[in-house]
Amino acid sequence: MISMEHALPALRMMLAAVVLAAAPAAAQQVTLERDSPLYAEPRLDASQVTQLKQGATGEVIGKQGAWLNLNTPGGSGWLFSFNVRFPSQHAGSGDAGTGSVAGRLFGPRRNVSVTSTIGIRGIEEEDLKQASFNADQMKLLDGYAATRQAAERSARATGLAPVSVEYMDAKK
Amino acid sequence: MNQEPPIGIRRTLVRRIPCWIAAALMAAVSGHAAAASLDLGRLFDVGKDLRTAAAGMDEKDEIAVGREVAGRTLGAAPLVADPQLQAYVNRVGRWIAMQTERPDLPWHFGVLDTSSVNAFAAPGGYVLITRGLYEMLDSEAQLAGVLGHEIGHIVQRHHVKVMQQSAVVSAGARAAQRSDRGLLVNNLIGTGAEVFARGLDKNAEFEADRIGVVLAARAGYSPYGLVEVLHKLGARASDDASLTLLFKTHPAPGERLTQLGDALAPRVAALPTGKEPAIRQVDPSTPPPAAAKPASVEGARAVQQEEGGTTIPSGGGPGRGIDAGGILRGIFGR
Repeated sequence: MISMEHALPALRMMLAAVVLAAAPAAAQQVTLERDSPLYAEPRLDASQVTQLKQGATGEVIGKQGAWLNLNTPGGSGWLFSFNVRFPSQHAGSGDAGTGSVAGRLFGPRRNVSVTSTIGIRGIEEEDLKQASFNADQMKLLDGYAATRQAAERSARATGLAPVSVEYMDAKK
Repeated sequence: MNQEPPIGIRRTLVRRIPCWIAAALMAAVSGHAAAASLDLGRLFDVGKDLRTAAAGMDEKDEIAVGREVAGRTLGAAPLVADPQLQAYVNRVGRWIAMQTERPDLPWHFGVLDTSSVNAFAAPGGYVLITRGLYEMLDSEAQLAGVLGHEIGHIVQRHHVKVMQQSAVVSAGARAAQRSDRGLLVNNLIGTGAEVFARGLDKNAEFEADRIGVVLAARAGYSPYGLVEVLHKLGARASDDASLTLLFKTHPAPGERLTQLGDALAPRVAALPTGKEPAIRQVDPSTPPPAAAKPASVEGARAVQQEEGGTTIPSGGGPGRGIDAGGILRGIFGR
């Protein structure tokens, strides 16, 4: 059971790679938000394949952590994923998860209906302003709360262990 | 937490404070919302003037305000009727919250049954994510990033700090409030609402993004789930109705990505790879969310009538009800 859970992300990555490889090239285009080096490996200290200009496009062929693997006219390599933007997609034209490049890249969804694409009206600012306290729902919310023990048990069963990571400052 | 305010105080409140508190208390009197009155009673009993109440707002006050806000949000959209999903999100959320400096707040997590794409944090440990956003997520790491952002707002007490600043500005109103506890509470929350309505510094959102990345990593997940979600949101067309509130009240996803990337670049080599477990799906037998009911004009009118036309002398606060849409600060909302 646990090994299945471990295998799932890897399996999904592989599936994503298959989907990406099979999808038409035009659907995987991303645009550079700023001038950025294209690296030979997904590391900032790797050698640079080329320097890409803002507005340049590339074809996404994979991802790893903070990095996207791109095919560009200047060569193939790894780009810091924060420096690209995915093309805008209309959710109503299909599943928001699978319909967009970003959706395909960051994990193809299984057969689920994405309710936000149905086009029905969701809560808006006015609804929040005018809503009154719902005690029955609050009682439900209270009942769903997890103890520390239950949370930790569940996390460990998923293979998660705490890691020491310092908070980050904004760029000075 | 489990003390009802004396009935005399409750009556005083109904007379003197605006509609939302009155509505909550009337519900309490009729036996449906005891929890709401407890928390207001808690705020009431602290025996502070406006400035000290806000500046020295302790954890219990924070929780009381957050609980009221969360309960009102649940009045706008109920929880998805999938208990296993809700329990799952609570386990994931609590695990992430345990990696913070405030692991023992009464953390509550919920998935709201609305197609809107958003997530909210209210003070004291209340985190709500909409079904519209939840169903965009593809891994538990992405969920961890979203919840980590919201948890970041709460741990950093972003809303409380704003209320404190606001209270300092309106300190001149203290004298009048010292003798009138109802007015005090009203202004404490009302003054906060005024500030929340103006919107907070974008930097609070950027900070919560950085915290979301770190908390996901601390909990053992890939640090980049939130980054993926921001990319997904950026790829949603700006005229997408389900993102109206999000795009209206928040820095654009692209701007957030740029800020986050700049902060993260020096750390990227040192961050752990982390895991990307599968995310639990909403039970397929759960019907899609009902369309939100149009805001009820009739309801608002009825509450005003119950108030008997009593107006609050303005003591520095706006003298109006709490603005849940403003006080709630989400991943995509300030």
